Amino acid sequence: MDLIGRDIPLIDGKEKATGRMVFTADINRPGMLYGMVLRSPYPHARIVQIDDSRAWKQPGVRAIITGKNRQFPFYSVAGQKVLDEQLLATDKVHFIGDEVAVVAATDRDTAAEALRLIKVEYEQLPPVFDPLSAMADGVPLVHQSQASNIPYRMEFSRGDINEGFAKSEVIVEETFNVGHQYQGYLEPHAAVAECDISGRVTLWLPMQSPTLGRITYAAALGIPENKIRIVQMPIGGGFGGKLEYKLHALCALLAKETGQPVKMVNTRAEDFQAGLPRVPMQIKMKLGVRSDGTLAAKESEIIADSGAYVNYSHGILLSACHRHDNLYRLQNIHTKGYLVYTNKVPTGCFRGFGNPQVHFALESILDMAADRLGMDPAELRLRNATQTGDVTVHGWQVLSCGLSDCINQSTNGAGWQAKRLTEIKPDTKDQVEKKAGQEALQEARYAKGIGLACCLHVSGNRTFLPYFDGASCRITVNEQGMAIVFVGETDLGQGARTTFAQIAAHELGLPITDVMVTLVDTDINPHGLGTFGDRATTLGGNAVRLAAADARRQILAIAAEETGSTAEKLVINDGIITGEAGIRLSLAEIAQLALSQLAGGHICGQGVYIPPDVTAVHPDTKYGNISCSYPFVAQVAEVEVDRWTGRVKVNRIVAAHDVGKVINPLLANGQVDGAVAQGIGYTLMEDMGIANGKVSNKTFSDYNMPRITDMPEIKSILVESNDPNGPYGAKGLAEPALTPTAAAIANAIYNAVGVRITELPVTAEKVFRALKERFGCP
Amino acid sequence: MRQMLKVTVNGYPWEGLVKSDQSLLDFLRDELGLTGAKKGCDGGECGACVVLLDGRAVNSCLIPVLDVNNCEVRTIEGLQDEQTNQLQDAFVSVGAVQCGFCTPGMIVAARALLAEVHNPGEEEIREAMVGHLCRCTGYTRIAAAIKLAASRINPETAGPER
Ligand code: FES
Ligand code: FES
Repeated sequence: MDLIGRDIPLIDGKEKATGRMVFTADINRPGMLYGMVLRSPYPHARIVQIDDSRAWKQPGVRAIITGKNRQFPFYSVAGQKVLDEQLLATDKVHFIGDEVAVVAATDRDTAAEALRLIKVEYEQLPPVFDPLSAMADGVPLVHQSQASNIPYRMEFSRGDINEGFAKSEVIVEETFNVGHQYQGYLEPHAAVAECDISGRVTLWLPMQSPTLGRITYAAALGIPENKIRIVQMPIGGGFGGKLEYKLHALCALLAKETGQPVKMVNTRAEDFQAGLPRVPMQIKMKLGVRSDGTLAAKESEIIADSGAYVNYSHGILLSACHRHDNLYRLQNIHTKGYLVYTNKVPTGCFRGFGNPQVHFALESILDMAADRLGMDPAELRLRNATQTGDVTVHGWQVLSCGLSDCINQSTNGAGWQAKRLTEIKPDTKDQVEKKAGQEALQEARYAKGIGLACCLHVSGNRTFLPYFDGASCRITVNEQGMAIVFVGETDLGQGARTTFAQIAAHELGLPITDVMVTLVDTDINPHGLGTFGDRATTLGGNAVRLAAADARRQILAIAAEETGSTAEKLVINDGIITGEAGIRLSLAEIAQLALSQLAGGHICGQGVYIPPDVTAVHPDTKYGNISCSYPFVAQVAEVEVDRWTGRVKVNRIVAAHDVGKVINPLLANGQVDGAVAQGIGYTLMEDMGIANGKVSNKTFSDYNMPRITDMPEIKSILVESNDPNGPYGAKGLAEPALTPTAAAIANAIYNAVGVRITELPVTAEKVFRALKERFGCP
Repeated sequence: MRQMLKVTVNGYPWEGLVKSDQSLLDFLRDELGLTGAKKGCDGGECGACVVLLDGRAVNSCLIPVLDVNNCEVRTIEGLQDEQTNQLQDAFVSVGAVQCGFCTPGMIVAARALLAEVHNPGEEEIREAMVGHLCRCTGYTRIAAAIKLAASRINPETAGPER
């Protein structure tokens, strides 16, 4: 059954389209209570006292827990060393939205009323909002237990930047600023928890990593890990935001307290206010390029705004500091990075993990250098592009690299040469009106431009986590001949279950309808860190492939014994085992035979995939081959800029992705579409409007995510570089597909109207202001 | 406060006391267990909660439940006709479904659109679906799915295959 490379629709698509898929908020358990969180209204304040006596009088209230009536251990997300979080604030609140108390009541209205009746006395403290000022000495500390507001800093060098800059023909320097971006999954955070008589909690959660969640929540609750079971629920969009989340542990807390099932669901406003949006960064970058276009030296300083807690932002900072260095053959580098606490919403993982932020800077500054050199930006990139077989400056072993192909195919696909204007039109409105009247005015008003940007990502990387980070899988075959796949990697909606089913069916010779892929249950599924870092297909896919091969061996051994043939002479196709002399058995028959031959045992294939030659980065130098494969991307944006208003419209994105090998084109292209849409939102539209620590855009009408009317044509090109480690050659796709979009659009804007916007989002006002600054009146 | 409500949901009459300040969405989900309509925002901004009210697509989170007295409500669970099936098949086959949280609302709205316009063009589709957020798919396939379903339901008026 050759299923690799085929368009296979989601195996759970019909369930979703009919509304039959049960999401967490849809769960109802007998006697279930409703839980809600009381959140801090202040960015920084001491909790003087909490009076919950009136709330307790509300009929229907079953539990009220605060940091004043309970002791909570300090904890962090799995393996992160700075323990800066508690389930509920004990002495201080650190941001508007910080969790102060939780309530469980018989229904939502009662819980909401109880929250209203809890009186918290605060003493406001001076807050810090701006990461740059938060770094200074003598400013208020976000966490009293820390020596400064900088929980993580890093610095590393390669080669000799002084020599590199000395040999440079042009040196460009710029500061870039990128803000918060909200994941905007349609399903708000939700949890259902239930505690058994032994004190063991079962949690039903839409989360990306049940394994990591169990570790973190056990630490947060101060209970052993084996007292928590996590059952993964379908995820209504994750994008990194649902890796782990405090609400889950709070729900467990209430279930333990009451002995009753508890459901908690964020309101959309809460989700905006206390989610874990993309880490904002200020990126200073200086790039030296030789006259022939060779990149000679780069110096960067990255200041990342962690918000109130570290969460995963230390990893995100590291990723921002050093992943992009491996995109081109650049040898002289010096980088400093700082993670800084502020009294704002804690930030975290979002598709790209620091890479979209820093690629906006890198890919913008490359175009600035190309401009100064008078070189085509595509040419500049091609000259320096990393190639298959390279060991990069940070020791990455690039076993497959389609970067040059991506650049060539995306630019060709977009008609780059013809569309790239060499001249901008600097005429002002008045001049144009005078010169040529209305018609020319319209023509001059809308300027078209085209821009390119590239990126890379990891796929199946070593994390900072101390746990086994390969992947494992178990496949059982039931008596009806159905294969059931258990794996530790989750489906976020991108279709991981379908891809796993496809791989299992391919290896086992089954129709895909005879394969089931379970959702993760930490009591049942083999260990797996879940889905992040583009690891699901690469690592999980390999584990499924190996487990299916193992199951296949077992099936054929039984069939051989039964028929007196040998396993080598038998084949499985469409669920039927055939061989010489008319041997013909169904998989169900074999499974039933196995049952009697093995005295009740069954066919059970196991697969463990350990990515080869991969190490965690060196803690100081950050050197090391961190991933078993690396995907590459080039995207070309075509834009139209209204020079009178500064409004930018994206007309088309041509996106070329080196995915190693396309396992399922339908799903792969779907990832590109969705990522590019999020990238356009990030670039042009999305702004949480955080001022004085307050998220002011916390509805979908204020926080502007792309709607159907905002979408341009997306032309997706999938490049196959056949990675030796990926299953069938495949590498990850979902994260890098968003990463270069911002820079591609910014470069296209520059190409259209000659202004360089260095701050995201690129609003019409910013473009208008820049046009005014550069050309006088528009 | 509780008040009497009489309503037909998915063809079945229902009568009883409801919380007077409840939304139609909460009534459907919490009282009737019809969880196909999703709560994405509770503020009329995402379209995940869309149901048919006397045949019209509405954001059920914005409708006070008492407003549907004597009305006919149809949710995704109650739409099992040919048109809906075609839409569901098309959504799945062209990849217009990813996480699926927005999908029931999209299907109901698309069903209402096709009841009015046999073969909607790009503009009509965009107009009908602008109230629906989808964070996963980038929308292009949603428009394609609606066109595909329409052309299968009404082949005689469909434009040329694209
Ligand atoms: S939940 Fe009703 S429009 Fe979002
Ligand atoms: S499919 Fe996830 S929001 Fe639309």
